[in-house]
Amino acid sequence: MAVYKRSYKAYSGLQTPGWSRFTVLTRYGLERLFDSRIFTAYTVFCFLPFLGGLLFIYFVHSSSAQTLLNIRFGREPLINNQFFFRFLSMEAWLGFLLTAWAGPGMISKDFANHSIQLYLSRPLSRTEYLAGKISVLATLLSFTTWIPAVVLFGVQAEMQGQGWGWENLWIAGAIILASILWIAFISLLSMALTVWVKWRIAATALFFGVLFFMAGFGFAVNAVLRTKWGWLLNLPHMIFVVWGSLFRIPLWTVQFRGEIVPVWSAWASLLTVCGFCLWLLNSRLKAREVERA
Amino acid sequence: MNGPVIELDNLQIKLGPRIILDRLNGSLSGRCIGLLGPNGSGKSTLLNTLLGFYRPLAGRVRIFGNDIQENLRELRSQIGYMPESDAFIADMSGVHFVRYMAELSGLPKSEAMERAHEAFFHVGLGEARYRKLGTYSLGMKQLAKLAQAIAHGPRLLLLDEPTNGLDPEARQRMLQLVRDIRDTGEVRVLISSHLLHDIEECCDEVIILKDGKIAALCNLEEERKANLKFLELEVNNENGFLESIRGLGCECASFGAGRLKIVLPDNIEVRQLYRLASEQSVQIRRMNYRRDSLEDIFLKAMMNGNGASVETKVMSNGRL
Repeated sequence: MAVYKRSYKAYSGLQTPGWSRFTVLTRYGLERLFDSRIFTAYTVFCFLPFLGGLLFIYFVHSSSAQTLLNIRFGREPLINNQFFFRFLSMEAWLGFLLTAWAGPGMISKDFANHSIQLYLSRPLSRTEYLAGKISVLATLLSFTTWIPAVVLFGVQAEMQGQGWGWENLWIAGAIILASILWIAFISLLSMALTVWVKWRIAATALFFGVLFFMAGFGFAVNAVLRTKWGWLLNLPHMIFVVWGSLFRIPLWTVQFRGEIVPVWSAWASLLTVCGFCLWLLNSRLKAREVERA
Repeated sequence: MNGPVIELDNLQIKLGPRIILDRLNGSLSGRCIGLLGPNGSGKSTLLNTLLGFYRPLAGRVRIFGNDIQENLRELRSQIGYMPESDAFIADMSGVHFVRYMAELSGLPKSEAMERAHEAFFHVGLGEARYRKLGTYSLGMKQLAKLAQAIAHGPRLLLLDEPTNGLDPEARQRMLQLVRDIRDTGEVRVLISSHLLHDIEECCDEVIILKDGKIAALCNLEEERKANLKFLELEVNNENGFLESIRGLGCECASFGAGRLKIVLPDNIEVRQLYRLASEQSVQIRRMNYRRDSLEDIFLKAMMNGNGASVETKVMSNGRL
């Protein structure tokens, strides 16, 4: 019978597994983001450092390419922890802009449309709703951070040979751990600010504000109180301090003017922010708030 | 689909410092259940509790025999919810939105798409299904909300003020849809509304809340049958007359200004009332038989609940 002639009937067919429901949110979220051509173009642009990295590794290992381009690399190993640290740092900044674009609109639109109650009236918990939304950012950021970095690591290990991969396996671990920390931090922050202000433009402004104005405030604290603990308010810097320790890079190369804060304090600063974001999400993301509105 | 749809067992809900629902007990088993009550009586809280948004302070709620706290996930996949406020994704096309919601309820992609189209045709928005929801009129948005509530084929449909803001024609269309859905027998419907007429037109069972308590819980059909000999009188002087009528064995209520409502037992004839009036020199200025309307049931419930007087006014259009 044609669809338009059918009357109401209950559904008794197959159901998708309960655990996979949050992936529906992720799929639709990604679909909506890639509806924008500018966003798609920017995402493609985020892969440029990866292509650059691949070419660089190739040139380092190809003497014929070096001869052709008349380049001579020294004896120092060029593909090392510093290389991956710099690559990941570059990708992290690109990912930051990606998050600033995609993150705040993800939940704020649902608040603006009062649709949270529709999601939560279905077999979907608040945690799953949040997991579905965060997975959108996690997928995007994974494809721009640890996945290309691990591919580069694999290519380097293959081209270098001689057990380089096994000897430097800790770099792969550092890449994954550093990326997970970055993705969790940036995703939770953007989501939490969204549920707090519930207005996309304000949430985006606040997102930049928390990261950059807090850093400025930290500088002021350092200058006025003649201390170094103001650095703890500079969250991007704290990320680099933690990454520096994971990539075994001397702290003086990632910290300014010798004002070195201990690595544990950087971890504590980031984990506190993540914890606060989770608390904010837990207290604000509720269907009944919409009812009251 | 026999047996109770919703069972309330000493249900108590506290939000902040206030007890919103206070020890509700009852079993609802109608095909279409009306949820009535003045503002602040706890209707929305009860709906939200049925959806699992609020955790009971005490007591239990069972839907189709399953405790909602223990089987919330399973029950939610059997519930379709149409909220009162505008709730949709403005920049999504109608059919895309309904498909999205159906997938979240557990339908596989292709089935969700098929049922989304079906639901849109069913509510009468077939031609507008590819338009963005943000461009829909108020009436169309209400219908789209109904479509998303039925697309996954629920066994229980919760409709919160489904005719809110609709013009008379759209309201009739919405009520007809609800009746059509009810008459399939595959789904039970719970409607929360301020409009007594809406409830009266669709429902066969009514629960009336007042100050967080159940003021009345009745089967409308049975109530109507039981009150076939229902009489409305207007007299010039009710003093003494009321007592005499009661002396005949009639149930009698006074609504002031000489307005009386009487339920005549089978063995009492109307002429006996005339005789009594004549004996007491009381003028009967108006008399008519009528069915006990939902309005009467509601007013009675408001009078009886907590022994308080009627605080809620029922306007001529049936709006509370």
